[in-house]
Amino acid sequence: MTVKTFPRGIFLPHYKEFSEHEAITSISLPKEIIIPLQQHIGAPCQALVKVGDRVTAGQKIGQSEAFVCAPIHASLDGTVIAVEPRPNFNGKNVESVVIAVDPDQIEPTWPERDTDKLSTAEIRSAIKEAGIVGMGGATFPTHVKLSPPKPIDTIIINACECEPFLTCDHRMMLEMTEALVEGARLIARVVDAPHIVFGVEINKPDALEAIKSNLGRDEHITIVPLAVKYPQGSEKQLIKASIDREVPPGKLPLEVGVVVQNVATAIAVYEACRYQKPSYERVLTVSGDAIVRPSNLKVKIGTPIGFIIKECGGIKGAPTGVESDEEWFSVPLPKADPAGKIILGGPMTGWSQSRLDIPVTKGTSGILVFSPQMITETDYKDCVRCGKCVEHCPMFLYPNFIGLYTEQGRYDLAAEWGAIDCFECGICVYVCPSNRPIVHFVRETKEQIAAAARAAQNK
Amino acid sequence: MADTQFSVTTSPHLRTTVTVSSAMRDVLYALAPITLVSIYWFKFNAVFLIAVCLIVAMLTELLFRKAMNKPATLKDGSALVTGLLVALCSGGCSAWWVGALATFIAVGIAKELMGGLGWNRFNPAAFGRISVFLLTPFFYWLGLAFSPLQASFGGLDVITSATPLALLKQGTALPDLGSLFLSFPGGALGETSALALLIGGAYLLYKEHIRWHIPVSIVAGVFVMALLFGDHSTTPFYLTPFYHIFSGGVLLGALFMATDWVTSPITPRGRVIFGLAIGILLMIFRLALGPTEGTCFSILIMNAFVPLIDRLTRQRKFGEAPARPAPVAVKPSLEKSS
Repeated sequence: MTVKTFPRGIFLPHYKEFSEHEAITSISLPKEIIIPLQQHIGAPCQALVKVGDRVTAGQKIGQSEAFVCAPIHASLDGTVIAVEPRPNFNGKNVESVVIAVDPDQIEPTWPERDTDKLSTAEIRSAIKEAGIVGMGGATFPTHVKLSPPKPIDTIIINACECEPFLTCDHRMMLEMTEALVEGARLIARVVDAPHIVFGVEINKPDALEAIKSNLGRDEHITIVPLAVKYPQGSEKQLIKASIDREVPPGKLPLEVGVVVQNVATAIAVYEACRYQKPSYERVLTVSGDAIVRPSNLKVKIGTPIGFIIKECGGIKGAPTGVESDEEWFSVPLPKADPAGKIILGGPMTGWSQSRLDIPVTKGTSGILVFSPQMITETDYKDCVRCGKCVEHCPMFLYPNFIGLYTEQGRYDLAAEWGAIDCFECGICVYVCPSNRPIVHFVRETKEQIAAAARAAQNK
Repeated sequence: MADTQFSVTTSPHLRTTVTVSSAMRDVLYALAPITLVSIYWFKFNAVFLIAVCLIVAMLTELLFRKAMNKPATLKDGSALVTGLLVALCSGGCSAWWVGALATFIAVGIAKELMGGLGWNRFNPAAFGRISVFLLTPFFYWLGLAFSPLQASFGGLDVITSATPLALLKQGTALPDLGSLFLSFPGGALGETSALALLIGGAYLLYKEHIRWHIPVSIVAGVFVMALLFGDHSTTPFYLTPFYHIFSGGVLLGALFMATDWVTSPITPRGRVIFGLAIGILLMIFRLALGPTEGTCFSILIMNAFVPLIDRLTRQRKFGEAPARPAPVAVKPSLEKSS
C-alpha cells in the first residue's frame, strides 16, 4: 500500500481514542431548538414562518432567491416561539427561528426513489431543495459547488478527518458506507466527472476496508490511502496528495478540474436524492478530556450545545444533578485559572464558545470540552525567527513576516508575504515557541485588506 | 447565562510544549558535554570564567531591561546561553574580566539595545567575543595598571591560549587528528573536544531545534576550501580538510552559533547559502589573515546578509509557478506627484 501525502504540514497527536469506537447514537428531545437562518456561506434566508406557527420536521422555514444560498428546514415538530437574532457559534447574532419542541414526535417518513432514473437537473435540484452545504465546516452551498463553470474530471471524497478528536466522519464511513458510495456516484453524475477518488487517512483502516468492499467492480473509483498528517483534509492539500495537482493561489479546485466533497455531504446528497430528505440533522463528535461520555451523535440542527453536553454526561468535575432548563445553559467548569474551553469544530480550526445556548448548525462537526489542563497558551512574545512556521506551512507562506508586519500595521506587506492565501489551519501557532497568535494576525490583515478594497470601491 | 467561565480565544486550541525557554534549556543541555570537557582540562580557571560569564549575562539583562522599562525575561534562558557561549569562545586562561566585558557587550549591546531577543541582527556571543578581541591592545595596558584583576588558580597542564592553528604559525608541534577529535587542551574552552560538540549538536538536531543545513554547509565550505587552497606541501598530514574541521571554532560555530534562530536565514535554501558563505569566509580568514577568531568574524559578517538572503531565497507559494520577486520594504514616498 503506497501512502500518499502533501508537502510540509505536521504530525499532530490524534486524540481520536476518546470516541473512535463509539457507534453513532441519538439523544433525547431538547425542549427548545434554535435554528439560525444562515448556516452557509452566501445570502441569509428569509423566515417563512412567524411566531405561533406550527412546524413539522423537514418543513422548509427559510429560503432566499439568491443563487449562493441554501434553504433552512425545521428539524423537529413544534411551535415557533420567536424569530429573532440569537448568538451564533462565530460570536455574531444571527436571525433565528426558535421552536418549542413537541414532547411527542412523529418520525417523518420519506418515499424512496430510484436514484438511477434521476436526471442531473433533478439531482441538482434535490440537493438545492434539501439545503445541503459543505458539512466539513466550510458550509458552502453544495448545489453551487456542483454547478462549476469548467469541466470537472475528478470528484474527490474527503475522508481524511485530519483534525484531532473528531471521529464522526470515520463512524459514518463505517456505518453508512453504502450511502457514502452512492452519494459519491451521484455527485460525479451531476458534474459528469469520470473519476471518483476516496482520500482516506490510514489511521482508519476499517473505514478503508468498508469502502473497498462496497465498491463492487467499479473501475472509475479509486481509494487513495493518505498519511496521517495535518491538514490532509484541506481541499488543496488533499488534491495535491491524491492526484498531484496544485490549485493556484486564490483559485478554486475546479480550476484543476476537481470538486472535493466531504463524507457527510456525500451521504446527505444520497439521502436527498433517494428520499428527498432535507438537511436537518447531522452526525457530530462530542469529545475532549473533560466530557464524561465521549460520543458520536446524530443530532437535530438547532439543538443547543449545552443540552448535548448534558446528554453526554456533562462536564467532568462540574456539579451533578443539574436538571432545569435554565441551569444546563450555564454548566460551570471546575474553577481554575485559566478556565476550560468549549470548542465547536476541531481543535485546530474550531471556535471557542463563551456560552452554552449556541445551536448546532449544518457545519458543526464536533463539540469539544477541554479541561484547564489542555489549555497551554500563554501571553505571546516577540518572534525569535526559529522558522518553524515557515518550515511547516502547507501553503509555503511566511507566517512569521505576516505576524510582524500586521503588528506594525503594514497590512500591504503582510498580504505580500501571504496573508490572503492563508486558510488558517493553525499550524504556525501550534509550533510557535513564542506562542504568537498568527491566525489572529492573518484575520486582522484579511479584514483590513477587504475594508480597504471596499473603501476604494465606494470612491 | 453569558457569564460562564469558559476561555475564549482564536483557533488553534492546541500547542506544542516547545517554548523559547524549553529550547534554550535544551541548548544548555547540549552545551553540557563541551563545558565538562573544558572544566576537565582547565580546572578551576574554566569554572570561574564560566560562572563569571553566566552571572554577568543575567545581571546585564536585568539591568538593561530595567533601565528600558521592559519586563524581565530571565526565564527564557537566552542570557544564560549567550553567557555560556561567550565563556566557551574565550581562551582557557583568559582573564575573568575580559570574559565579563565580552558578556556585558554581548547581552547588553548586541541583544538588549537591539530590541531584545528576536530583534538582534548579530549573534550576541560572537559580537561580544569580537568586540573584546578588537580591544585586546587596550587590555594589555589595563592589565598592567590593575594587577588585582588577575586571578590565578595555579599552573595547568595545558597549552595556554594558543589554538592548534596559532601553534602552527609559531612552528610548534601539533596534536594529531585523533586527539584533536577526542580532546585536546588548546585554544578556547569550547574548542577542547570535537566529539563533545558533535554529541551536543546531535541532541539539538534530535530535538529539532536546529536543522542540518547550516552546520553541514559550513563544514562543506571549510572542507572544499581546505582541499583547494590548504597548504598541503609543507605539512601534508596535519592540514587535511578534516584537521581544519576539527580544530578551532569551526564546530562550535557551526553547531551552536551560526544556527542561532534569530540571526540565521529562515528557509533551507537560505541556510545553505549562509552556511557555505561562512565556511568559505572562515577559511579565507584562516589561510590569509590571523589564525584566530575566524569563525566569529565570518558569522558576524554573514549575519548582516541574512535579510538579503531571506529576500533572495523567497520560496514560491503553494500552487504558484516558481521564481517571484520578493517584496522589499519601501518607505512610503512623502511627496505625491500630482
